[in-house]
This record gives sequence, C-alpha cells and structure tokens, in this order.
Amino acid sequence: MAEQLEQLLHSPLLVLPLNAVAFLFGLMLYRRSGTTLLHPIVGASAMVAAVLWSLDIDYPDYQRASGLLYALLGPAVVALAVPLKQNLGIIRRAGWPLAVTLVVGAALAPVVAILIALLAGATEPALLALAGKSVTTPVALAVADKIHAAQSLTVGIVLFTGVVGAVLGPPLLHRLEIRDHRVIGFALGINAHAIGTARALEISALCGAFAALAMGLCGALTAIALPLLAGVFN
Amino acid sequence: MEAFRPIAHWLGGAAILLGCSLLGDLLSDRLSLPVPGPVVGMLLLLAGLMIYGSVPRGLALVSSQLLRLLALLFLPAATGVFFLRHLDATDWLAILAATTVGTLLSFTLCALLLKKLLRDGGGERGDG
Repeated sequence: MAEQLEQLLHSPLLVLPLNAVAFLFGLMLYRRSGTTLLHPIVGASAMVAAVLWSLDIDYPDYQRASGLLYALLGPAVVALAVPLKQNLGIIRRAGWPLAVTLVVGAALAPVVAILIALLAGATEPALLALAGKSVTTPVALAVADKIHAAQSLTVGIVLFTGVVGAVLGPPLLHRLEIRDHRVIGFALGINAHAIGTARALEISALCGAFAALAMGLCGALTAIALPLLAGVFN
Repeated sequence: MEAFRPIAHWLGGAAILLGCSLLGDLLSDRLSLPVPGPVVGMLLLLAGLMIYGSVPRGLALVSSQLLRLLALLFLPAATGVFFLRHLDATDWLAILAATTVGTLLSFTLCALLLKKLLRDGGGERGDG
C-alpha cells in the first residue's frame, strides 16, 4: 500500500493536476493583487515547491512526471509565428529604424547583463543562464538547452528581467521625456519579452503591437545568434 | 457535418503546430544546426504563412490558446529555481545586479536609440 502511494505521488496522475491547480492559483493571485510583481508563475511555482517539499517528492521525479508540459513547449514556440505574421505589416511602415534598434537591442541586453555579472564575479553557470535573459521563456529554454545552461535558473532570470523591465521601464522613459508609444513598446518587447508586452498592451494597442513584434523578432534573432556565438567561444 | 467544422479547424491548427515543431527538431538534429529545433519550426511556419498570405482560422485559435497557457507550460522548469543548490552568494548577487541594473540600462539605451532613429528618419509621430 505504501509503495503504491509512493508510485502515485511520482506519477503524472498526481503531478499534472497539481501543475494545473497551481497555475490557476497563480493566475488568481495575480488578478486579485493587480501587480506585475506577482506574475502567475510566481504564485504557481511557490505552490508546487511547497507541495513537493511537504510530500517529500524529488524535483527530478516531478520533472519527469511533468513531461507532457515540456513536450508542449516546442509547439508553443512554433505558435509565436502567428502573432509575428499578424504584426509584420507594422515593421514595413516604420522600416529600418526598427530593424537597427532590434539588432542593437537584442545584442545589448545579454552583453550588458553578462558584463555586469562578470564585474561582480559570477561563475560560468550564472553567466550562461544570463545569456537568454531578455527573450521570451519558451525560446530562452530552447536556447538554454542548446548552450547547456541550467534551465531553472534561466527561467528565473527571464521572469525577473521581465518584471523589472515592465514595472520600472515605462516610468523611467517618462522621466527621460520619451512619450512615443512605438518607442516604449519596442523597448519593452526587446528587453522584457512577454511580461513587457502585457504591460505595453495596458498602455495602448499601438504600444502592445510594437512590443509583440519586438518580442517575436528578438526571440528569433537571439535563438539563431546565441548558439552560434556560444559555439565560437567554446 | 456543420458542427464538426470547428473541431476539424482546431485539429488542423494543432497538426500544423505539431508538424512544424517535429520538422524543426528533425532538421536541427539531422543538419546539426546551432538553432533550437522549435525555433526552426517557428521560422518554417512564418515562411509558410507569408507564402500562404493569411493565418488559417484553426491555427490562429490553437496558437492563442497555447500562448495563453505558456505560464503553465514552463511551470516545471520555473519550480526548479527553488531547488538550485550549486550557486553561491556571489553568483546570486551578480545575477541580481545584472538583471536589475543591466535590464534598465539596455532598456533605456534601446529606447533612446529608436527615438533618435525615428526622428532622423522623419517617421510619423506615434503619441496616443
């Protein structure tokens, strides 16, 4: 009996509903609090961690039992092509300033972060995980896999980056007298991915469209460039 | 038969996503591409959609559903943050500095650059 219970605790039968319930809990917490700081993943992951600890389930076992969710990450990355296609007309109108900013911004975000971390004395696992910090999570996970960075740390960094950019970014630009919604949206999409895009949609539809466009293009560009660079340095 | 049409659309959309994802994995693997398989799949789909000219209804539906569930999909990986053991205090401080200071720095530089380029290029104003 005890053995069967043990098996149930480590099977998808328990773990998948646990994930779903935790996700709904995180979503509710986020909506009730109304603050970007409590992104749904914050409450959800804290709840899962608490359950794993109290039931004494090993993290690798939990991970294995969550295989279905990992399997859906691939199709989710592919699905990003749809909003990208829908927003493609915008880039044709704004033209080359967007293209230049995209390339510079996509390079600047990881370079600045890695330089600061190097100066602060970080070791290689931390530096690798910082490389994908500004791209949307499913892409960052795929990249982390390619350059052998720790997936969990990568997700944590990506989410934290998104929250910092989305919460502190727009007021900062306001102080610098930058009011153009195209500029605010594009900067949010490049530096704060999906969390920044959600924030941009609250500012205006134009702001949101530019953020979604920047997020998609930045993700694709980083996913192509980063593993190439990592290959050169190794 | 009418009633089955939305289901057929949905299944078609899901099949396109799954097919592109598998094809991307296969290409990335067989050709030893540095680009992750799912991203190859995304680029394939984007190219396909640009040739096709519009987004099929079922595909748009499945995509938006999947993207709304993103947080659930990366929940297992995110939970791992609570179980990281091999990083010391220096690493955590460095990561904190890089994500806060670094993000705001690159964010601001990005915005200043685009603002200057748009003004020089004489694009229409986008205040709203």
